[in-house]
Amino acid sequence: MRDFVSPRWRKVLRDALLHKARTLLVIVAIATAMTGAGALLDAWALVQRVTAQTYLGSHPVSATLHLEDVDAAMLARVRALPEVAAARARRTLIASAEVNGTRLAAELFSLQDFSARDIGRLQPEVGAWPPRDGELAIERSSLTFAGAALGEPLTLQVGAGAQRSIAVSGIVRDVGLPPGWMDNLVYAFVTPATLVSLGAPASFDELQIVVRDASLDREGVRRVAYAIKAQLELEGRHVDRIDVPEPGRHPHAAQMDSLMQTQGAFALLTLLVSCFLIVNLVSSMLAGQTREIGVMKALGATPRQIGAMYLAFAALLGAVASLVALPAALAIGRPYAALKADMLNFPINATAVPWWAIATQLLVGCVLPVLAAALPVRRACAMRVHAALCDTGIRTDPEGAFLRRRLSLPGIGRPLLLSLGNAFRRRERMLLTLLALAAGGAVFLGADNLRRAVRGSVDLLFASQHYDVVVRTAGRFPIAQLEAVALQTAGVERAQAFVGASASLVHRDGVLGDGFALVGLPFDSPLSTPFIEQGRWLRGDDRNVLVASRVLLRDEPTLVPGAEVTVMLAGKQARFIVSGVADGGPQALAWVPRAALLAAQGDDRAASLAVATRSPGDAAAAVATIARVRSALADAGMPVANSQLLGESKRVIEDHLLMVVEFLGAMAWVMIAVGGMGLASTMSLAVLERTREIGVMRAIGAPHWQIVVMLEVEGIVIALLGWVVSLPLSVPMSAGLAAAFERVMFRVPTQLAPSASGAAIWLLLSVGVAAVACAWPAWRATRVSAATALNYA
Amino acid sequence: MNILADAPEIAGPVVALRAVGRRYATPAGEFHALRDVDLEVQRGEFVAIVGQSGSGKSTLLNLLAGIDRPSAGEANVVGQPLHMMSETALSAWRGRAVGIVFQFFQLLPTLTAAENVMLPMDFARRWPAQERRPRALALLERLGIADQADKLPAALSGGQQQRVAVARALANAPTLLLADEPTGNLDSHTAQELLGVLSGLVEEGQTIVMVTHEAAAVRHAARSVTLRDGRVVAREAHADA
Repeated sequence: MRDFVSPRWRKVLRDALLHKARTLLVIVAIATAMTGAGALLDAWALVQRVTAQTYLGSHPVSATLHLEDVDAAMLARVRALPEVAAARARRTLIASAEVNGTRLAAELFSLQDFSARDIGRLQPEVGAWPPRDGELAIERSSLTFAGAALGEPLTLQVGAGAQRSIAVSGIVRDVGLPPGWMDNLVYAFVTPATLVSLGAPASFDELQIVVRDASLDREGVRRVAYAIKAQLELEGRHVDRIDVPEPGRHPHAAQMDSLMQTQGAFALLTLLVSCFLIVNLVSSMLAGQTREIGVMKALGATPRQIGAMYLAFAALLGAVASLVALPAALAIGRPYAALKADMLNFPINATAVPWWAIATQLLVGCVLPVLAAALPVRRACAMRVHAALCDTGIRTDPEGAFLRRRLSLPGIGRPLLLSLGNAFRRRERMLLTLLALAAGGAVFLGADNLRRAVRGSVDLLFASQHYDVVVRTAGRFPIAQLEAVALQTAGVERAQAFVGASASLVHRDGVLGDGFALVGLPFDSPLSTPFIEQGRWLRGDDRNVLVASRVLLRDEPTLVPGAEVTVMLAGKQARFIVSGVADGGPQALAWVPRAALLAAQGDDRAASLAVATRSPGDAAAAVATIARVRSALADAGMPVANSQLLGESKRVIEDHLLMVVEFLGAMAWVMIAVGGMGLASTMSLAVLERTREIGVMRAIGAPHWQIVVMLEVEGIVIALLGWVVSLPLSVPMSAGLAAAFERVMFRVPTQLAPSASGAAIWLLLSVGVAAVACAWPAWRATRVSAATALNYA
Repeated sequence: MNILADAPEIAGPVVALRAVGRRYATPAGEFHALRDVDLEVQRGEFVAIVGQSGSGKSTLLNLLAGIDRPSAGEANVVGQPLHMMSETALSAWRGRAVGIVFQFFQLLPTLTAAENVMLPMDFARRWPAQERRPRALALLERLGIADQADKLPAALSGGQQQRVAVARALANAPTLLLADEPTGNLDSHTAQELLGVLSGLVEEGQTIVMVTHEAAAVRHAARSVTLRDGRVVAREAHADA
């Protein structure tokens, strides 16, 4: 080192090592913030690459046309179209799967060609592929959820057909499907012959295409699909519906992007908070070395040379922190990417993080501390030599003395007054420290508000549903018969059939919007009373009137109360007037009078029955009652496909929503940790600067415990101020988090002001963090002998 | 090796002050630290600036070092008009032209004696990197403390620290060596040794301006300039220097 490193760089290194613990604390804080940000970046980079390679590489379906009897000749004609790159025929069948006595909803896919690689390519993972007649290949994301195993049979039933045990012969991945465990669906692939054995038709009723022009947007794809529809209708075929997903986007990609962007924003905020620590450290270092700076200037150092030394010190901190953070970020980012990919139903085959993500972290790690230190360094370098040489260190503080005088109240002892005054001695440092804590607190309070809002929203959603179980029959049955059988069953208080249908809004240009669910129910149903947000609920004299859910209004903004709209329903157009908007949770749906929906469908049958038991809230009693209902309906020739307890549905929805909230709120803990380290750093600087004062106090008889209490009180005062600042700061933070949640999921009525209990928990947490953060500096203060402290210069 | 021989030649006096004044704004009004000071120092001279505390002698030394700026008059030092130069230009000039010895040594505590001496060379870059340590060791040898080269300042006595400070002041072979009360923090024996060192440097051609209030120190200078209330009140040549 003697020959290769010049004295000024040796000074930089030795200054860094002089106060090892303090420097280490700042490095740990930067590394913590960088680990959070780096893990997100690594996860994002891995997921992006997998999206590009896996999802787009599977040639996802551009559009699906629903029609009867898609045959080989039709497929050949569609494939020959210049706008179409690939086409296939499929049938999707809703079934129920029985697992350990529980019935789960299942979607069975029958394909005309399982080996097609140019459209919705499937990836066989284990076992046989494609499935043979009488066997099925289960989608891997449904495997655990369904309790299925390779080689074991799965009991399936379609409609009123007979139950059949079908062997699971293979496991396959379809990256175009959302995970089965998230959607509570068992996805499986079977041959047409297997469908026939389950009582379903062998023919295909979906025509799926991939457009040739990959740059087409959703409207462009819709135009191609509608052109095909027009051609098919010229041939006398009838297309019921067209589904066009967002091109090149996985069904959950938008939510995932929003989630990661929001987390990324918090990661940047955490990095900013860690920069406060660098500002504090470098500022205190510069303050302690003002005379040295003056001497170096007197020896001929230019401001640029001195600035370079201290900025290099900041860069060194960042570089060391980066070296710590990079492997930590990789260790967290990889499993996090796997979790995200699992939510998208992608495999993470390669865990090598792209070089640019590593380079970005290194760059940010080295540059950010330099930027943070730039201002204090510039200020110190601009100091005139004479002023620097005359510097006498920490100055008297008229404001602190003023505060101590003002607080000279009976009962407040002199040491406590000293602590209060000391907290304000380095106001800039104190401000940055409390802002760091306040930022963490604001995110904590914002996440608490969001958690409450989500729970409240789910509670509100389910509070409008006054039944315990939904029973779905295998096929449609007369409403009067369904309701009568259920009502005669012991334990049933009320039962009403709800009619379901799939519909799409017909836009002004004739193009159909995305499909949504229409729920037909009696206008005065006591079992479902959704919370009206705009307009009014259904009335007895209503005919073609609908109430849109909040999420449907977000997707179709023309559905405002009073609007007259055209809806494609059962292959026919029907006019509806929007009477109101209600809370339907995360679903895009609309409510219509049951009679109107039955009339539009030309059918008086239903397949869904809402049942209220005589012992609401008692799950065991509800299960027993529903077993009797199933039995009674089966005896009456109306077999049940599946049933679901409302409480179970609520738990599943709440778990999914809260998982997003917890992802968003996780950064609060990182920020609080960094803020705590900032406080520890500030207090250790305070001890260092006031070693002589501490020595004087000890010389005049202050016991150890009093020194410790003084420093702890000083830290707690800063934490309390941070707590106070965090309260108003949590208002915009709550709004930001609610907006992020809305982008990821749906809008929830978030309370912006912090809740009393949230504020109380954060207060306790603040005091706890301060007590822990000050413990080490306080202990250090008691370790210095009075003689040494008094000699300290 | 004559470690002082590298000082650049300049035409005219090393120091030429013309009607220099320095005033400060204080809560009690303007304070004139210096008024109408004229001073010339020729190459190779050893000049002592003397006066009581508050007479303005340290202010004068700061003006000569470019650490402070005159409020009035012209200050030409080592061929440069300091009153017209920027802070950055002054820093670079100081590194090349002036060496400063402080009363309290002001060595950087985390650097060894040799590193403290190398530091000004590092800033001025007058010598290639590989020549800086040999030159620093030669300077320490010249001042009789080469055996202390790798010790930190805290491990040195006051006299040794001040010798390191003198070696550091000579690091870039400055035309002018400025010493601010160099013996003020030393015992009398060590002070005499240091003054002997400074006299030796003058004999080798070094120009020195020294601020002091000690009569014993003044006697080592060729002449002295006495300040009182910011004005030059006496100029005296010493035959016994």
